[in-house]
Amino acid sequence: MITLYLGVSLVAAAVVLFIMQPVVKGIHASLEREDDELTETEARKRVALLALRDVEYDFLAGKLDEEDYRSLKADLTAEALAALEADEAAKAGLGAEAGDAALEAEIAMIRSGLREGVACPDCAYTNVSGSRFCSACGQALGELAAS
Amino acid sequence: MPILGEFALWISLPVAVWGMVLGFAGGRSQRGDLVLSAERSIYAVFGLLAIAAAGVSAAFLGDRFEYWYVASYSNANLELFYKVTGLWAGQRGSLLFWALLLALFSSICVLTNRNRHREFMPYVAGVLQGILLFFIVVLLFADVNPFERLDFIPADGQGLNPQLQNYWMTIHPPTLYLGFTAFTIPFAFAVAALLNGRLDARWIQLTRRWILISWLFLSVGIVFGMRWAYEELGWGGYWFWDPVENASLLPWLTATAFLHSIQIQENRGMLKVWNMSLVLMTFLLTIFATFLTRSGLIESVHSFAQELKIAYIFLSFMGTVLAACVLLIVYRLPELRSENQIESFLSRESAFLFNNLLLLGAAFSVMWGTLFPLISEGITGQQISVGPPFFNKVNLPIGIVLLALVGIGPVIAWRRATKKNLQKNFTAPVAVGVATGVVLWVLGARHELALVTWSISAFVLTIISTEFWKGTRARARIEGEGYLLAFFHLVTRNRRRWGGYMVHVGFVMVCIAFAGAAYNTDSRFNVQPGDVVEVASPFGHAYQLTYEGLSMSIGRGQRNLLWQAIATVSVAQDGDPKGILTTEKRQYTNRDSQPMTEVGIRSIVREDLYLILSALNDTNGALNNEPGAQGIDLQVLIKPLVGWIWIGTFLLAIGTVIALWPSVDRRRMAAPSEGGGVEAAPAGAD
Repeated sequence: MITLYLGVSLVAAAVVLFIMQPVVKGIHASLEREDDELTETEARKRVALLALRDVEYDFLAGKLDEEDYRSLKADLTAEALAALEADEAAKAGLGAEAGDAALEAEIAMIRSGLREGVACPDCAYTNVSGSRFCSACGQALGELAAS
Repeated sequence: MPILGEFALWISLPVAVWGMVLGFAGGRSQRGDLVLSAERSIYAVFGLLAIAAAGVSAAFLGDRFEYWYVASYSNANLELFYKVTGLWAGQRGSLLFWALLLALFSSICVLTNRNRHREFMPYVAGVLQGILLFFIVVLLFADVNPFERLDFIPADGQGLNPQLQNYWMTIHPPTLYLGFTAFTIPFAFAVAALLNGRLDARWIQLTRRWILISWLFLSVGIVFGMRWAYEELGWGGYWFWDPVENASLLPWLTATAFLHSIQIQENRGMLKVWNMSLVLMTFLLTIFATFLTRSGLIESVHSFAQELKIAYIFLSFMGTVLAACVLLIVYRLPELRSENQIESFLSRESAFLFNNLLLLGAAFSVMWGTLFPLISEGITGQQISVGPPFFNKVNLPIGIVLLALVGIGPVIAWRRATKKNLQKNFTAPVAVGVATGVVLWVLGARHELALVTWSISAFVLTIISTEFWKGTRARARIEGEGYLLAFFHLVTRNRRRWGGYMVHVGFVMVCIAFAGAAYNTDSRFNVQPGDVVEVASPFGHAYQLTYEGLSMSIGRGQRNLLWQAIATVSVAQDGDPKGILTTEKRQYTNRDSQPMTEVGIRSIVREDLYLILSALNDTNGALNNEPGAQGIDLQVLIKPLVGWIWIGTFLLAIGTVIALWPSVDRRRMAAPSEGGGVEAAPAGAD
């Protein structure tokens, strides 16, 4: 009986020590909020780019014919560009720190990527123009992929 | 050891309360020390419940019949294997086991997220601990404590129900429990997202793997149950819309809907409220499944007991969760707007949506049919149950349309499909489907629903294999790889897409097998030793079955057997000997007068031959070895295609594992995207 009570007390004491320690000793778990949440315009941009990627994939997989592909792609590109503009505008509105050069460069790159078809159809990563393979995932791009 | 287990269960109660309160308080006040303490309390509860479960197991292994639970589900002669699995043989142990699994998953969740996704964790810990607390309260206060002692020590236990002494029955419940409990994690993250206001698709991406694991275990667990019913219940069926079967199907249906609709949220920014509702619904249905199984509210072969106290506790818990979540969703409604709208009825988005509506429709009909006895009792005072005809009538058409959608989904264009898109992608598969139907009709298949199912299956399989073929060919051409390597890379590069397709192929196989049931045959014979009976298979061949005789053995208490009658039958197919099958009647010492049946099954790819020893002509005569007392009633079933259920499920499981396997590419991709393009490594990419 004594062993039992001893065992129970040991278990209980261990549990109490274990869960009380952070509060007593002030050990803090991180509660950092990851700031990778997309703003509304960013989310719109992302959705438009993803849709574009899907259309590219469907075309490459032979599920869309040339004509449907062109019309869908034209619509979606316009949408993506609109979303980009909106995003740009929203960020510019935030003040000088958001509208810095890096961001401008990124937007310019995405925009040219969309126009020139170097946005990866598989992962939507925007490659520098003239790329033959996607730098993010290795997917063949442009003419190579279409052949 | 059992006593230590009992104490551990009691200690877990205040620990769970502490953890729940601190989780929410820490999240609210953003105090990391409270949160850390709450997270640690989850590990502590897991440890305590593990001690409690070990205590129950020790009671089983040590034949401690002073415990009601052990005395009711075991006896000294029970095989060791079933003593080990005694933990989940009955209601009380099952609830403890359930809580233990939940604590295990919660601990894994907290451990893997100790350095990331921290903004979710306070509330995740609070929610998980709250649910654990609920189960601990049930165990301690709802008259279902597995450590309850009798006032006396019986000489022996009552033993385990012989129907549960089956391999499948020992792995079926744990598998289902794993599925049920794993779904608690996505639910906890959803609630955390509602509380911390991070309402994008983040919580879905974080828990996608948990959702798939849960779905995998649910699917496999349900099929294990079907396998058990098929082998053990001795009537040749694998599903009979029993309330508990339905209860496990309900969360599967909504979880399947959820798996599909989250892709729309991730890729299109739509259906946010819908997904929140589905995760809530699925979680509540897993609790409902426990409740239905454990309350004995509706008559069922599975129900353990008729206990009302536990029913009230479950109902109030479910009501509270429902009310709290609905309030939270309403509170966050303005932030849950869609970023997009569906443009056309003819589009992949609407195919997804349609899939969701059908799955929900099926879930609703199953729910209605399952609860109908209760509803009718409430209104008329009499329990009227609706039988399989109701469920089949509603769910077969839904299943067939869902099957067709499996084919339509992958190739219909996103946004809006044009006539050309439809022509281009559907002409060949529709032709194959129709041709399959015609060929089968010419071959003599006349059952309409089965023909439709098989035609649509052919249509779907054509589409999916074309997808695989085109993808492999394109890859082989672009990368200059061999076809086999190209296929391998294709699948590994986008596991989510191709794993999903494999799951679909498995599902199609299962549907094909279900339709085979339209051609089941059932013949009954009264035979004497030496008699030969012939049974024709729907595939055209015939079986000649020779009844060789009966062998009786009187048990001496080993394995709790009183007596056992084994009928031996030689099987020949079109005159070609194929070996022997046995089917048995067993009388156990520790159960009522009803003998149990063990069936004899011979499986080939096309069909199962299923023999049932329905009855002995003269049991007493046979026991006394009287000559002429060897006649039996032999029931012979032929079950076309039934084996494809198990094969299809296997493929479905493999596909799910492929889809949830961590992708190497993904990790490599994450690096260059840092601080760079938002569109790299999007959620839907693999």
